[in-house]
Amino acid sequence: MAEIAARALQTPLAQRVRSLFGGRRADVLLIAVALAAFPIVTHRAMPRLFHQSDALVLSQGVALAAAALSLNLLLGYAGQISLGHAALLGAGAFASGILTGQHGLPMWVGVPVGGVVGAAVAFVLGIPSLRLRGLYLAMVTLAFGYAAEQSLFRLSVLTGGSAGVALPRRLHGNTLLIGNPGFLAVAMVVLLALWLVDVNVCRTKLGRAFQAIRQDEGVAQAFGVDVTRYKLAAFTLSGAFAGIAGALYGHAVGFVNSETFDFQLSLLLVIVVVVGGLGHRGAVVTAALFFTVFPRFIKGLHGYDLILGALLLMFTVSRHPGGLASMARERRERKAEREARREAEAEGEDIEDAGKLPSLPELPRPPAMPARAAAGDAPLLEAVGVSVHFGGLQALRNASITVPAGGIVGLVGPNGAGKTTLFNAVSGHVRTQSGRVRFLGEEVQDLPAFERARRGMARSFQLIGLAKELSVRENFLLAQHQLATYSPADALGFTRRAASVERALDERAREAVAALGFEQFLDTPVRNLSHGQQRIVEIGCLLATSPELLMLDEPSAGMSPAAAENLAERLRELPDRLGRTVLLIEHNLPLVLDVCDHLYVLHLGEILAEGEPAKVVQQEEVVRAYLGDAAA
Amino acid sequence: MGQTLVVGTISGGIYGLMAVGLVLVFKGTRVLNFAQVEVGTLALYAAWEVTTQHGAPWIVGAAAAMVLALAIGLLFERLIVRPMGDAPRMTVAVATIGLLSLMLAFESVYFGPSPRILRPPIAGLGTKILGVYVSPTQWLSLGLVIVVGVGLAAFLRRTDFGLGVLAAADDPTAVRLVGVRLSRVSAFVWGTSAVLSAIAALLIEPTIGVIAPGALAGLFASGLAAALVGGLTSLSGAFVGGLVVGLAESLVGHYVVSSSVPGIPALVVFATIVAVLLARPGGLLGGRVATA
Amino acid sequence: MLELAGVRAGFGSTTVLHGVDLSLAPGEIAGVFGLNGAGKSVTMRVIAGIVPARSGLVSFDGQDVTRMQAEDRVALGMGHVPQGRQVFPGLTVEQNLRLGGHRLRKRDPARYEQLVAAMVERFPILTERRRQLAGSLSGGQQAALAVARALVSDPKLLLIDEPSAGLAPSVVAEVGRILREVNGLGVTVLLVEQNVTFGLGLVERAFVMQRGRVVYGGDVADLDQDRIAGLLGVGRILSKGVKSTVKSRRRTGTRTKT
Repeated sequence: MAEIAARALQTPLAQRVRSLFGGRRADVLLIAVALAAFPIVTHRAMPRLFHQSDALVLSQGVALAAAALSLNLLLGYAGQISLGHAALLGAGAFASGILTGQHGLPMWVGVPVGGVVGAAVAFVLGIPSLRLRGLYLAMVTLAFGYAAEQSLFRLSVLTGGSAGVALPRRLHGNTLLIGNPGFLAVAMVVLLALWLVDVNVCRTKLGRAFQAIRQDEGVAQAFGVDVTRYKLAAFTLSGAFAGIAGALYGHAVGFVNSETFDFQLSLLLVIVVVVGGLGHRGAVVTAALFFTVFPRFIKGLHGYDLILGALLLMFTVSRHPGGLASMARERRERKAEREARREAEAEGEDIEDAGKLPSLPELPRPPAMPARAAAGDAPLLEAVGVSVHFGGLQALRNASITVPAGGIVGLVGPNGAGKTTLFNAVSGHVRTQSGRVRFLGEEVQDLPAFERARRGMARSFQLIGLAKELSVRENFLLAQHQLATYSPADALGFTRRAASVERALDERAREAVAALGFEQFLDTPVRNLSHGQQRIVEIGCLLATSPELLMLDEPSAGMSPAAAENLAERLRELPDRLGRTVLLIEHNLPLVLDVCDHLYVLHLGEILAEGEPAKVVQQEEVVRAYLGDAAA
Repeated sequence: MGQTLVVGTISGGIYGLMAVGLVLVFKGTRVLNFAQVEVGTLALYAAWEVTTQHGAPWIVGAAAAMVLALAIGLLFERLIVRPMGDAPRMTVAVATIGLLSLMLAFESVYFGPSPRILRPPIAGLGTKILGVYVSPTQWLSLGLVIVVGVGLAAFLRRTDFGLGVLAAADDPTAVRLVGVRLSRVSAFVWGTSAVLSAIAALLIEPTIGVIAPGALAGLFASGLAAALVGGLTSLSGAFVGGLVVGLAESLVGHYVVSSSVPGIPALVVFATIVAVLLARPGGLLGGRVATA
Repeated sequence: MLELAGVRAGFGSTTVLHGVDLSLAPGEIAGVFGLNGAGKSVTMRVIAGIVPARSGLVSFDGQDVTRMQAEDRVALGMGHVPQGRQVFPGLTVEQNLRLGGHRLRKRDPARYEQLVAAMVERFPILTERRRQLAGSLSGGQQAALAVARALVSDPKLLLIDEPSAGLAPSVVAEVGRILREVNGLGVTVLLVEQNVTFGLGLVERAFVMQRGRVVYGGDVADLDQDRIAGLLGVGRILSKGVKSTVKSRRRTGTRTKT
């Protein structure tokens, strides 16, 4: 019931947030009161239908739901896997137990401290582990969960030995909250609080950054996201949620030991989150409640629920990786795609846009990003003597280029010449062995990619640098990550500051999308657009932060010939109308000759020639590079 | 001390078998099989069922165990792994978590949570060598580990199909271009690793003493650590890794009093895994060229 | 021997081939040329069966193989030397060859022995190093191994992707000689090449691709310098340089047919 109400508030959120901001607080309060009253009133009214033991089972379910939210945050949003989450739950439970049981503190101190301890453990575990990805991270978390269960939770210095810990429901002094319906009320309110924090994560830069990291870390960096820091933040926040959930569970059942938080619990959480739907908090909470409540209330099914869960997991993972929550949506989308494909083939056209690409949006310069210029006559970008090698391969040897402000500089060369490597060296996506990169007069070769992005360097990617699962609007918001000048604490609480900054970013996003003529695609996931449309959205996103330099990597690749011709006009808009500087990699030589003011030719990792495009391209070494040497 | 070394070596060999199973699947299909060890537990249950409930001799029970394991491995590959085709490897790994949960749940429901005991294959006193006692089961373990290890290596290196499996680990696309059917490679690695798991479980059961859902979780952790030491791509490395982990566990357990720090093996395994992953995700022995 | 009609293919939302038409008669030696991004390698991979064709027809030796798996096309008689050679670095030279011919050995052991003997004779370096790991061979030796591995399956059609990439000029020349010999023995050869000069000196027929389509398919003799440059998509831009290199090769007549 509470979830339905919260979800109802969530959907028209974007518009309602502004108008109902004050009213929203009242709504939250009403829901909290309703949730708290529900179990108490129901038990009083129908004691035979709603027992004390029923309330206990529901409390355990609510605790598991909170744990599921925690793992969903980590796995569903940020895409980082944890196979030892039970250990974080245990950390919170043991902490609260020691405080309330052995030191006589009340629950409303114990549970939050449990959250803090969970966060701290996650933080410590995260620092070394988050360098690892996917499979390796899974292994470390698995091993940690195992070590916690077998050893750490039995150490007397930490938990008082293998005997376990009692968690009294202390309210104050010696007063205990005996009644289960009462405790259920408390648990539901806590779950509501966690739910609201989760909502706030999603509608601020935190959630978007997490999603970007999950989909493509290189793209996240290019948009100015400090990937390492945000991964650690996801882990820590997830740990906080888990600690609270563990403490809740502990106080519900009254006693925990090392066996309470075993590997099977970690597995159950993974099942709940994956089957429910990665990234869908409502589905995940529902699944958690289902798995706890369903078998208890239907006698004789104990054990079979886990068999069902396991089968569902395998089914979900193999057919519907988005979980049950997205099954209906996927089916709809696939049908639409098939129809569109059939139509296009019937007309004998390519699927993608053969039509004109829209003009690029002219956006006012945001206050957070003042105009920058290099001192005096210095060029906008200078790369001097850059060398890069991978293993035994010298990809770039002593390459130097200069990009003056205004205009378009092109970078061409046959396959394997090192063009993208040079881009990556300039933007910070690859480490250089020697050489310097000066941007706006500042030496940036030691800065990570996201720092360079924050200084006004924007770049596109061959395979389209967008978070493809997110909508067009969300991508524009993500692109403005650097402009979201509020702290994570602001984000979690969705303070007035966060709300007003988000409003400004949203307006800017809508302006840009409207200028592109893509209003109809505002909430469409980017992956549903044609390749040409995606490319334009990408360039539009790059402009969102008013960068000084736009680096475009093969923008015409994969475009139908008609669309590629159109692109040339759009590219000239960048310096001519919008005053940007462009560095361009292209294989499409006629496009390059059309559009570039200056050209560099790369071959086998070295700059072969440079100068005025029409002349450079006729030089003999260049011709030979393109057509190849005659073999002996 | 000698006893410690013997125990460490023999359990290390068994960890090696489990690790080889993990590495085989990883080499063949790039998936980490989280259900690797639980297949062994389920196989043990089958052996128990056949010997205790139907009075068959140990060897028949062992055969039943291996057949069941093989069936599970092949079925899972056919029904879950192959339809997933090119899906990201992490997703397939999550599917193995589903298999793991399924087996755990099934064991709880069908056999109940109370532990079972399997009678050891060879009763009787062991022999004493150089002041160290080696039980008959330990001799059997040593022998089997060597035979299986050598046999598998020979099969992989000397038969056409085996070469195909090794090549598929290097380059699954190129191997299709010489006409090797990847589906057969996939079935082989999943089936074989399941059988290896059953064998390892049968050999380690006397040491663990009981059969219960998840009782062999420690074996998975140790097997994983062993595989990582070998780099997850080297079969011989996996064996060596097994010995390393087995000996480390044994020695640390010998020198640190376990009453003050419970669960020493778990800590050793955790520390090993973290150390290897942080120092060199390629493992200590894997790296340049994947070998048999 | 090989025919592509209206083939479209791509990855995800991108379409790389926008309708490719190609045909090859038995015994011919032909090349596919084009600038980077034109779709040459994707075309090869569609022929091989690694990349599925979204629409259109791929026909090999009279059979429609459009939906056939790559392994089965190999069984029908396709041999491959993939881009970058792709020898199996963890296996020895001997083991690589054995894998290459494993199907033939079962089907026709006598023919297999014949081919192995031929490889041994033609590539003595491979015999010398037969127990060495393929990963430790030099670039040229790996090229020889990759070709031998493909030939030992007795293919009707040999598909080679960028034979000259990453090799020293003298080695490239040797590879060219090997390919001409192979063609002389009756094997149809299709290669993809970035090095237009080398490729044109090797083949009889040429297909030029531009942005996912074949814009020219015909005899090499009909191609002249300006036409090549134009077909590649660089227009009359690259003129002088091309004239001197291509013209001189023709005059010395370095192609021979047996």
